[in-house]
Amino acid sequence: MLVDLQGPWSPLLGRLALSQIPYENPILAPLFVVVAIMGIAIIAALSYYGKWGYLWREWLTTVDHKKIGIMYIIIGLVMLFRGFMDGLMIRTQQAMAVGPDAAGYMGALHGYLTPYHFGQIYSAHGVIMILLAATPLLVGIMNVIVPIQVGARDMAYPYLNAVGLWITAAAAVLVMASLFVGDFSHNGWFGIAPIFELPYSPGVGVDYWMWVMQLAALGSTLGSINILATIVKMRAPGMTWLRLPIFTWASLATNIIALTSFPALTVALALIGFDRYLGTHFFTAGLGGNLMLYTDLFWLWGHPEVYFVILPAFGMLSEIIPTFSEKPLFGYVTMVLATFGIAGVSWAVWLHHFFTMGAGPDVISFFSVATMLVGIPTGVKVFNWAFTMYRGRLRFETPMLWSIGSLFLLLVGGLTGMMLAFPAINYMVHNSVFVIAHFHSMLLMIVYAIFGAVTYWWPKIFGFKLNEAWGKAVFWLFTAGTVGVFVPMYTLGFMGMTRRLDYVFNTQWQLLLDVQMLGIAFYSLSVLAFLGLLYVSIRDRAKSRVSHDAWGTTHSVEWMTPSPVPFYNFAVVPHINARDEWSWRKEHGFTDLRPDHYEDIHMPKNTGIPLILGVLTFLLGFGLTWRIWWLCALSLALIIAVVIIRSFDADTGYIIPADEVERMERAHHDRAQAAVELPQAGVPGGVTAYGQGNKPAAKGEVGAPGSGISSPEGSRA
Amino acid sequence: MWIERIARWVRYLALAPLLLLSGCSTQGFWLFDPKGPMAHADLYYMIIDVAVMLSIVGITALMIVWFMWRYRKSHGKGKYDPKWTHSSAIEVVVWGIPIIAVGFLSYYTVQGTYALNPYDPTVIKGHAAAGGEPLEVDVITTDWRWLFVYPKYHIASVNELVVPAHTPVHFRLTSTSVTNDFFIPQLVGMIDVMPGMRTKSALLANHVGEYQGFSADYSGAGFSWMQFRTKAVTAEQFQQWTQRIQASPRRLSYAAFEEYAKPYIDVSGKPEYFSGVQDGLFDHILGEVMNGKVWPIPMAMTENMVDYMKEQNARTAN
Repeated sequence: MLVDLQGPWSPLLGRLALSQIPYENPILAPLFVVVAIMGIAIIAALSYYGKWGYLWREWLTTVDHKKIGIMYIIIGLVMLFRGFMDGLMIRTQQAMAVGPDAAGYMGALHGYLTPYHFGQIYSAHGVIMILLAATPLLVGIMNVIVPIQVGARDMAYPYLNAVGLWITAAAAVLVMASLFVGDFSHNGWFGIAPIFELPYSPGVGVDYWMWVMQLAALGSTLGSINILATIVKMRAPGMTWLRLPIFTWASLATNIIALTSFPALTVALALIGFDRYLGTHFFTAGLGGNLMLYTDLFWLWGHPEVYFVILPAFGMLSEIIPTFSEKPLFGYVTMVLATFGIAGVSWAVWLHHFFTMGAGPDVISFFSVATMLVGIPTGVKVFNWAFTMYRGRLRFETPMLWSIGSLFLLLVGGLTGMMLAFPAINYMVHNSVFVIAHFHSMLLMIVYAIFGAVTYWWPKIFGFKLNEAWGKAVFWLFTAGTVGVFVPMYTLGFMGMTRRLDYVFNTQWQLLLDVQMLGIAFYSLSVLAFLGLLYVSIRDRAKSRVSHDAWGTTHSVEWMTPSPVPFYNFAVVPHINARDEWSWRKEHGFTDLRPDHYEDIHMPKNTGIPLILGVLTFLLGFGLTWRIWWLCALSLALIIAVVIIRSFDADTGYIIPADEVERMERAHHDRAQAAVELPQAGVPGGVTAYGQGNKPAAKGEVGAPGSGISSPEGSRA
Repeated sequence: MWIERIARWVRYLALAPLLLLSGCSTQGFWLFDPKGPMAHADLYYMIIDVAVMLSIVGITALMIVWFMWRYRKSHGKGKYDPKWTHSSAIEVVVWGIPIIAVGFLSYYTVQGTYALNPYDPTVIKGHAAAGGEPLEVDVITTDWRWLFVYPKYHIASVNELVVPAHTPVHFRLTSTSVTNDFFIPQLVGMIDVMPGMRTKSALLANHVGEYQGFSADYSGAGFSWMQFRTKAVTAEQFQQWTQRIQASPRRLSYAAFEEYAKPYIDVSGKPEYFSGVQDGLFDHILGEVMNGKVWPIPMAMTENMVDYMKEQNARTAN
């Protein structure tokens, strides 16, 4: 042992002992029972219905980018729920623990959470929401959509894609494990130097945090290489750079950020690892360490990370708003320039996360002005979306509602962001709940865009639409939650309340903390409504089946292939003629999806190796956290062995013969034709984006040249 | 259907909490109620920034709402033009407005950064002549208490900062263990207090009164109780106060400080006083921490702490 650990250690179990299982905790123990029962129920159901083989063949070993994307999104949604529960506990604690007379329960002096437990909850909330909810949701959507949008059959590296997924899953399992085995970190999602050093965090919490972040970072880095390679090398013939769909542009920018910034995080965390495991002094206060160095290194990644999550959201809005405005995007080139402008500036603003750390006025002025520069391209984007609506024909279906909600949150977040960029203002609101409200406005802006995107692309992936009424109910309940929580929070910021208070010392803040609980109640209802939405939509799926062009006014390449998308995406790789290819084809009457000839398709084979690597990575992370050295050595050796063995496997693909493709395509078209009612003009989903006339389309215009809607088999109208 | 019609309006209740904003007054709004030039300047720049930004953001929001209304598909009055995707004039405007706004704000942000530079705030300089000799205070945070050392008077107080009004106060700040953040909302903005580092800040109180100060950066289990009362008093009252503390029986050498700095969650927040503070205590502590001195947190304060808090509750009850 190179460092002095408090508490026992044994060669077999490391720091793990029975006492590390919080079986006496009145919150965690019942939760564990519930989780265990649910796990057993799922296993029993899978066995009863004999679905293990299906699960293994179709999901666990898949390299299909759409299924991997869906699994990313499922991880994201599950972790979003976990993160929400953490948020609910934070809000409840703060509402309960106001003033010295507030009652205390379960060992806490005030409220029901002891300070260290509270610290773990807000840290887990941050880590989960950013790295294991927002990131997987966005990566999942990019995974599903980008290859189809560029007209490719899969990612550039399908196997690497699956490896990225299972490493991300390992990170999610590791953070969940910290609930029931040991503690999580209490030093915030970004790590407050030097609390993460051994003298101040002697338990395993910080180790959990460090390895969860490391694994999530590794997964994202692998994913970004893949998406970049796919966009650069796998575009369909004819898709020049200026014909690239706007969401793909956003994905390109965002993954350049990811690929170049995540290594900074990896290094920063590795140096903490050296401090905690080897007794070095990189970030300690004494013996030559410099704790400010950590803060710099972290935000050197952390701020680009913010744009890593926001740019895909901007891309989603840029797809949804034109579709429901029945009009192409205003100022495409400007939009691309703005996207790369934001990506470029993202590298020069990190210091605004710690204006209060005492840098000189010259340095602070530079970073303040650089931060404000972000407002220029962002402002341009907002104006462009507004002018996309201008002279449009706006339909307020659920994806559009989410997008408009997102736009307003962006305005609020932008306004408060410009306040925070001002050091003179920042000194007053840094570390206050005003900052919390600001970045929640921005992250919720992303969540709104994600919900919009999920609703928007859902029919593409599953072949049926989500229920409109339930979707709107989710939107309004969620919005009530957002307003109810964050308007009072901004207000509390002006009252001077700071963040992370386990005990709230000022009783004047009680009222607004209670109002926030009302918002939390609406959020809880929206979670239930979301489950209802899924249930009702899946139950009624036969009634809501759609053809390839689910919304009737879509414009990009992904809508040129059947819904649900076949596993090979396109029977014949399309030739791209225009920026909004599908709109162009609708205008020119090329709406028949059936090619005149079929060809052999080369597809990657399924493989179980990524899943095995994921399991081994989890074991490595767990072993490192608990300092079980034999487990670390064993799992690391196995990871290296498995990677080497796989590299000798030359037979990783297979050919689908042209006849087989034709048979499957026919089945797709027959099924679609049987299920789908022909969309009607004048109803949502029935009118083209580029109708010639300026008047609303009348009934009976369907199928006319330029109105662009054809039946699934192309000639019925 | 009347139910649908009601449902259509009920959803807008989602925005109802915005009405609560009408209840705003400066009562309890520390940021809108500054009591010294530092906090006052912060508010001044906030007003400039919000005025400029709100004029743009507000107009944009109204514009979006207007577009949504006018160009809605059902019964919208707007003319539909599906080919309209570019306008050079609009492009110039949409780039121009943010550039001008950012340029304008950049001037003020740089000005404000120098005016409020915590190491040498120019907003206080003008007041220095009137207020006489600035008071020097050394701020030392431990886990989890505030210690204010007045080197000139050889006194120190815990959880209580007493300063003469109308006199500039210069702070040097350091921590023994982890990072805290020094914040008195009505007097001065935040500055990090870091171990092995020395930061500076300054304030001037224009009004006699009592203001809340506290740590704004999470520092561990006792962080939520790290408040200190800031009393701005008259010059005579300040002299009397220093004399009273100088008579205090407890003395503070570095050896005594080592004992004092052990982790302690100070839920009572009671002030304590020391006299005979060792010369150069601040620099000595800084040097010790830089040489690797740590006050480790015992495991009991970093686990779920149920037992620890029970024990502490019992202690404070006595």
